Amino acid sequence: MIALGVDVGGTFTDLILADLAKGDVTIHKTPSTPSDPAKGVINGVRGICELTGTEPGRIDAIFHGTTVGTNAMLVHDGAVTGMITNEGFRDILHIGRHQRPQHYSIMQDLPWQSRPLIRRRFRKTVAGRLDAKGNELVPLDEEAVAKAARDLGAAGVEAILVGFLFSYVNPAHERRAAQIVRATLPDVFVTTSAEVSPQFREFERFTTAAMSAFIGPKVRRYVSRLSDELREIGVNGELRVMTSNGGLATPEMIAERPATTLLSGLVAGVRGGAWVGSHAGTDRLVTLDIGGTSADIGIIRNGRLAEADARSAKIADFPVMLPMIDIHTVGAGGGSIAYIDRGKAFRVGPQSAGADPGPAAYGRGGTVPTVTDANLVLGRLVADNFLGGRMGLDAKAAARVIGELAEKLGRTPEETAEGALTVLNSNMANAIRSRTVQKGIDPRDFTLCGFGGAGPLHAAGVATMLDMKNVLIPPHPGITSAVGLLTADLEYHALRTAFAVKGALDIARLQTLYDDMERELGAIFARDRVPSDKIKMLRQADLRYVGQGYELKIDVPDGPLTEAALDRVWQAFHDRHREEYGHAFEASPIEIVTVKLRGLGMVDKLAEPPAYTVSSEPKQVGVGRCVFRVDDTLETHDTPHIERNSLPVERKFAGPAILLQTDTTTVVPPGWTYWADRHGNVRMTHDNQA
Amino acid sequence: MQTRVDPFLAAVIHGALENIAIEMGHKLMRMSYSSIIRESEDFGAALTDATGRQLCECTMSTPLQSGPIPGYIAGILRELENRGDRVKPGDVFMHNDPYGGASHGPDVGFVVPIFHMQELAGFSVTTAHHLDIGALTPGSCGIVDAVDTYAEGLQFKAVRVYEDDRKVEPVWQILRSNIRIADLVVGDMEAQVAAARIGAERYSALLDQYGLDTVTGAYEDLLDYSENLMRDAIAHIPDGRYNARTFIDGYLDSPDPALKELPIEVTLTITGSDIHVDLTGTAPQTPNKPINMPLVGTVDCAVWLTLRSILLDSDVYGAIPQNSGLTRPITIHAPQGCLANPTFPAPVIARFCPGNAVADTVMKAIAPAVPKQVSAGIGNLRVMAFSGVSNSAPWVHMEIMEGAYGGRYGKDGMDAVDTLYANTRNNPIEDIESHLPLRVLNYELRENVAGPGASRGGIGSIRSFELLEDGAVSIEGDGQRFDPWGFLGGADGSPAKIELVQARGATVELPSKLPYRQLSKGDRITAYGPCGGGYGDPLERDPQAVLDDVLDGLIDAASARADYGVVVDGQGVDEAATRELRAGRT
Repeated sequence: MIALGVDVGGTFTDLILADLAKGDVTIHKTPSTPSDPAKGVINGVRGICELTGTEPGRIDAIFHGTTVGTNAMLVHDGAVTGMITNEGFRDILHIGRHQRPQHYSIMQDLPWQSRPLIRRRFRKTVAGRLDAKGNELVPLDEEAVAKAARDLGAAGVEAILVGFLFSYVNPAHERRAAQIVRATLPDVFVTTSAEVSPQFREFERFTTAAMSAFIGPKVRRYVSRLSDELREIGVNGELRVMTSNGGLATPEMIAERPATTLLSGLVAGVRGGAWVGSHAGTDRLVTLDIGGTSADIGIIRNGRLAEADARSAKIADFPVMLPMIDIHTVGAGGGSIAYIDRGKAFRVGPQSAGADPGPAAYGRGGTVPTVTDANLVLGRLVADNFLGGRMGLDAKAAARVIGELAEKLGRTPEETAEGALTVLNSNMANAIRSRTVQKGIDPRDFTLCGFGGAGPLHAAGVATMLDMKNVLIPPHPGITSAVGLLTADLEYHALRTAFAVKGALDIARLQTLYDDMERELGAIFARDRVPSDKIKMLRQADLRYVGQGYELKIDVPDGPLTEAALDRVWQAFHDRHREEYGHAFEASPIEIVTVKLRGLGMVDKLAEPPAYTVSSEPKQVGVGRCVFRVDDTLETHDTPHIERNSLPVERKFAGPAILLQTDTTTVVPPGWTYWADRHGNVRMTHDNQA
Repeated sequence: MQTRVDPFLAAVIHGALENIAIEMGHKLMRMSYSSIIRESEDFGAALTDATGRQLCECTMSTPLQSGPIPGYIAGILRELENRGDRVKPGDVFMHNDPYGGASHGPDVGFVVPIFHMQELAGFSVTTAHHLDIGALTPGSCGIVDAVDTYAEGLQFKAVRVYEDDRKVEPVWQILRSNIRIADLVVGDMEAQVAAARIGAERYSALLDQYGLDTVTGAYEDLLDYSENLMRDAIAHIPDGRYNARTFIDGYLDSPDPALKELPIEVTLTITGSDIHVDLTGTAPQTPNKPINMPLVGTVDCAVWLTLRSILLDSDVYGAIPQNSGLTRPITIHAPQGCLANPTFPAPVIARFCPGNAVADTVMKAIAPAVPKQVSAGIGNLRVMAFSGVSNSAPWVHMEIMEGAYGGRYGKDGMDAVDTLYANTRNNPIEDIESHLPLRVLNYELRENVAGPGASRGGIGSIRSFELLEDGAVSIEGDGQRFDPWGFLGGADGSPAKIELVQARGATVELPSKLPYRQLSKGDRITAYGPCGGGYGDPLERDPQAVLDDVLDGLIDAASARADYGVVVDGQGVDEAATRELRAGRT
């Protein structure tokens, strides 16, 4: 099977074409076209087909990561959207949780008020009300729904959200209203809040669903246009889009649930890291994807990507109540600016010089010192061999801006540059701690997988701060996300609010909820033509002690639910609570808040990576003076510059070394041992650690 | 540049400290049981040094909880000294002394000392507002009739709840037998201890890694750093005296004139990089009514938080660490025996809303000096405690009713939001109705009441609750008598209002302080939130913005014409008519 992965980033569209059975892989990069991303994708597909002499018709499947939905949120450029909601509750989306994002600010904006997803004039209310158990208190005023739809249609809205209180218990009113709206306005994108996320907390649910409506028309148009254009150039393979949960979805699913693509682009990187790790023999990884302005951190535990808890996920400062991979983004990258702030403290980032003018070293007029300049001053980047020599670096400009900062600090340029890296690495290490140590996970047993343009430069430094033993740099760090696209399954999630308390719960009802969800997902997989032997259903549930407001996700055994099976669930919850918070309330009653089903439709994936067989002596292309901090003092080492692709397989060398390749530079500090493994990954271990 | 520690290492340690405080708050919020902590986020988490100076605070916590933490430690250390006692490893203290830092009884601090090389090195502290603290009526807010602090509930002065790492059982038994809904409250307290211990553990590890001297040097630098920022900001304000006066409701239904329409007065004297804040002119303390505000823990926090929100606005200047260094350039005086510096045992439990009025008055005073950094007058808050007995189990639910901000330079006021020193969250309707015999009947913005201005004042909410069983309500609020102040030609905003519509038909307007009052099944309470003051001349408001408000149903066409001189014609502005109308007004 021939599979194509296409990951659209801000600057480049990365492609990977693979014969899955043989493991042959070709990669290609083409400039992204932000105003019309499909154009860049088509250019790229043409390009990689020409490059490999592949007939477009031979491509069996296209796996795609897109930022169309994310960008619509980030720049607040979505559809003109309307809402139909309960009488008396017109402004749930506007009032939110009545809390300000910042404690200490008069001039701040509340995003849901200053950038509303649905303006008040387009929020219509109708009679109809359910109670907390889903019983009807006031019948739905269907005539009012039809009138609201007509009014919104006349006002030119392109999307409508139907959102009612307690629809997560009983969706009948929402469904009926949506039916009326669809009948009235067949061309408008219509969604209901329970369809998007049937969970309690009206502000968060309505907001998530409003986001879906807001980005819906755009995402749907994009996917359908991309399908058409791919067909036009002869690609008939099936299109699959990566979703925020780390799985793939069909264009039909994306058209129905556009909000599932909000993290599409970011998640693929973590997937890619997980795949690389699994073939390198580790299923516990921290992925660190560092670019120009930010670093994205993901956690993989026992081969599974850590999920964000539903209460902390945000996009563009709006809460998102959907299953998402936990990706923690910090403002730390190659362009991060080092500066002395108003209070005279030394800081690095989150402001970034970006790509233009970029770091002073880029020679495009940048005048502020950045992390890239610091790396160059310390000899970690090689001026005449940056990105395989495709781009020269201006060492004098870097020395000048770092020198100016050093003078202000009363330190040497080397101390200043090294200090900038220490602070940057510490910011990333703290972010990793927040996702590991703070959740009861010991990062020391994990491997740090560094990729993206700047990940391999900083991975060893960050690992040192966290006492992490092992570092892994994939063969092509710049295209890890595209690789990740070829390693996922179709994945859909269903959930139901249960509110079932231990001791007073109805097992048969829980069983019914799971059965119902299995039917729901089964029907979708049937539509996707996934054979039944390729379908896997995994049960989960969100639990809390009665009275708490935050839940923890626990796996629920397969097969008929029994007391014994539930006992295992209760115990797993106590254990998980202790692990996560350092404390369990063993005597307190437990409540199952939500039951969840994860459905996987297994698809062919990228097989084992190609074997790496280089056996010659490593090719040293130069040597440079490199500054490292060793035991709290700065030392200068003559450091070899080695072509990464010349490293002989499985032969170990002592650092320091600078490894060069076309898409990044890897730094091996003194005290670290490095080698290329049999898949061409660079591995590093710290010598002091077993 | 003089620093004690390498600026790079200092940055690393500062990041680590902040990370610890965030972890404490995160865990407390997730482990806790009652909605006042987990949903409203009315809790604090911070680390201090051995003398109680605050090093860092949790960014999720509410300002009025983290801010007083240094005062708790000072109160505990003073109390221990008086007893001839001292802090030992394995201790955990409980403290809620209103005159010893806590500023009112429901906010209970749990304090874990941190030892390094056998020496006391600091404290890890969590504070939280508890649902009930064993006062005369159910709930810990809406107690507006207590005669002294003894009537306000249990008082803990540096009480050991753990000694040698062992639970002091009798104390926990006293808690369980004196607090209503003890399962919730004691569960929250245990969560507080667990979270404070995590902070202590992490801080110890930091001391082990870097050594006490380095960590101390780094946080001394951090305190200096915050102080420098604050001094720099103050130095930009012209020297001089800035005075303002506002009024609080007090007890509007009281026959005693000394209990209502009480002045809050603030005089700021700016000299170079120092600010002196004087509350002389503020009403005398109310001897038998608990709206007195302890100087330490309420008034000082209200002053500090307001000044930093204006002078070092985080939206403008980025995140600036909140610590004791920020407060060094500010001195505060309030005459002993006034509302803002009551004498023990004057009751204080309902000091929340008057404290926010102090914050508003500080903003009003400094406004002429920094007109582009303030909002016009804010709408104050109201706290309601609903309670009852359902299936023979007592229940209490506290809900904080939002206010609204005044208009700002180039921006309208924030609508329906917590104001100034408060920043809690509301409870989801779907949570309330799933767990309590209450129904929420509406929750939306009020219409046609906004404070006109070039920048319009923020709009208050309307929110109604119906009792599904017999129960009770208590109310502790303010802002029903006086309009939030307009600024630079903006009109005043409008006050709050609370109505009780009884099941049997009568409608009663309720005062902002309502002691425990029984309600019947079917009774409905409607809270109308206040609207902030306008900023700048309404005739200068962009006609398009006025039109938007009309199209959004926030004001009607008559108000557009009367208040703003804008003629709205269907879906658009009649520009010629608007020009003419406005020209005739000026």
